[in-house]
Amino acid sequence: MALFEQVVNGLIISIFYALAALGLSLIFGVLKIVNFAQGELYMLGGFVYYVFASLLGLPPVAAVLVAFAALFIVGALVERLLIDPIHAGKVERVDEYAIMITFGLAILLQNLMLGLFGPWTKRPDAILRGRVEIGELIISGDRLAAAGVGVLLIIAVLAFIRYTWAGKAIRAVSQDRETAGVIGVDARLTGMLAFGLGGALAGAAGALIGPVFLVYPTMGVIPVIKAYVIVVLGGLGSVPGAILGAFVLGQVESLATVLIPDTTRALAYKDAYGLVLLVLVLVFRPQGLFGERTRRA
Amino acid sequence: MNNQAKPIPSPAAATGLRRGILGLLVVAVFFAIPFLGLDEYWIYILTIGFYYGILASSWSLIVGYVGRISFAHAAMSGLGAYGSIFASTTFALPLYLAIPFAGVFTGLVGLAIGRLCLRLHGAYLGLTTIAFSEIVRITITAEHEITRGSLGLAAPALFESADRVQYYYSFLAVLLASLLVMWLVLRSRIGLFFAAIREDEDAAASLGVKVVRWKIFAFTFSSVIAGIAGAFYAHFIQLVAPSMMSLQEMGFILSMAVIGGFQNIFYAAMGGIVLEVLLEVLREIGEWRMAIFGAVVILVLRFAPNGLFGGFADYLASLGRRS
Repeated sequence: MALFEQVVNGLIISIFYALAALGLSLIFGVLKIVNFAQGELYMLGGFVYYVFASLLGLPPVAAVLVAFAALFIVGALVERLLIDPIHAGKVERVDEYAIMITFGLAILLQNLMLGLFGPWTKRPDAILRGRVEIGELIISGDRLAAAGVGVLLIIAVLAFIRYTWAGKAIRAVSQDRETAGVIGVDARLTGMLAFGLGGALAGAAGALIGPVFLVYPTMGVIPVIKAYVIVVLGGLGSVPGAILGAFVLGQVESLATVLIPDTTRALAYKDAYGLVLLVLVLVFRPQGLFGERTRRA
Repeated sequence: MNNQAKPIPSPAAATGLRRGILGLLVVAVFFAIPFLGLDEYWIYILTIGFYYGILASSWSLIVGYVGRISFAHAAMSGLGAYGSIFASTTFALPLYLAIPFAGVFTGLVGLAIGRLCLRLHGAYLGLTTIAFSEIVRITITAEHEITRGSLGLAAPALFESADRVQYYYSFLAVLLASLLVMWLVLRSRIGLFFAAIREDEDAAASLGVKVVRWKIFAFTFSSVIAGIAGAFYAHFIQLVAPSMMSLQEMGFILSMAVIGGFQNIFYAAMGGIVLEVLLEVLREIGEWRMAIFGAVVILVLRFAPNGLFGGFADYLASLGRRS
């Protein structure tokens, strides 16, 4: 039974992971950059949720949507101000610029929130309180509700990419930026949209997880590293790969914790399993499980 | 994408000489500082500034000259620190052997990482080096029976007396020595190989540059310097904790190199010293310091990619040309 409980817990964690990783993958797909500030967008989502749900008393689900919208705007602004100059040809050494400037953004946002709110953890109100019992399985309500909303959001975003014109534009620019331009897709606008959506997904993830794992300025540091593992596992830029990668990582982590007998050490190493996976995948199969092979990783 | 790098105005011989004289003046000022009756506390801060100067300049060697990103530099320094502590306590080596041992050890780790990451570029390399650095940090924290985990491990002191000035001069000497070695390497043919790899790896290979060899060399070389810096730091601070390898620490190094100017080892080193001093001067405003530095990193990258010192030097050079 303990094993089954671990599997279900792993599933729920995977949904949170998938939310954060999906945004990273969308951004990479369209703009071919890794956003090293994604964890801080996730953290901002947690704070927006805290402010709206706990301080202003909005209903929790509405506060999640506010976090989604607010981080969409933040993401779109970041793209226009910091990333777009790459495509305008104003930047030399594109790869290193994108890495360093998003890393700088992460430093800025983390310490900005430290200055504004202090390092203390906050526990915003959850969507659902108490426990839910399904047969012998007991799950805490806040986790289950957050996972449910998370699944709905993932489905909504997948449908948006699949069925709308803007979603088609995202897929087109992901495949080939120049050709997409030729057939009338505004690649700059699409880049903004992708970064906005990526930020919004991270923000929603932060808002949903806030009540479970608490809100504080460095809350994004560990989850974003998991998101890196997931997108690399699934192949950078691959949306189904990101979702599958999230489920693989969630299971690996929760099962590996059970399988290692020494509990303190097992817990201490929990965050390292995924990283070892990441290094192995990058060294032996850089395109990931689903990503397309490029000439050079 | 944008492969047409703008041509950098080649500094005339006269401005080169002027920069050399300016550099010697800066070094002379640092040598004179302990005689100026500065508070011991600031001598201590400057010593730590020299440590960051070594890390920022050796990091900029990979990023600015070879054009490869690395987030493993803080971890390398940490490995050097732990390596030297174990060498001097467990294996009872004297420090003048333990510190070089730490350098060799991190060099071997750097060699292995460089070998593994050969095919990786840009974001992929960034992610791999982040993963490596976190694996090292997590392992050292988890194996608390050996490393005392996050409590930190005590290190024997470099000198018997606690005289701050002694440490100040030894760190200044290590900084100058590492800058000299890096400068000699960079002005030799190897520096040209680095530049060729940075601008176009395939073209460099087609012209006979041993791309694989020099990429691995660069990673190993800068790891050795980081390891030695970490070892000296351990025997200066005398307590080393895994937080020394955190990504936050890596953020410090990156900010210092970028703000100083990561395309030049000397500007990066100055960035390390100046930022460490500023961190202390601005202690009153707490977390806002790093928020400001983060904002400056973004502005510098966007508008002055040569960094503040690089931009200032270019400005001086342009003045010289006009007159």
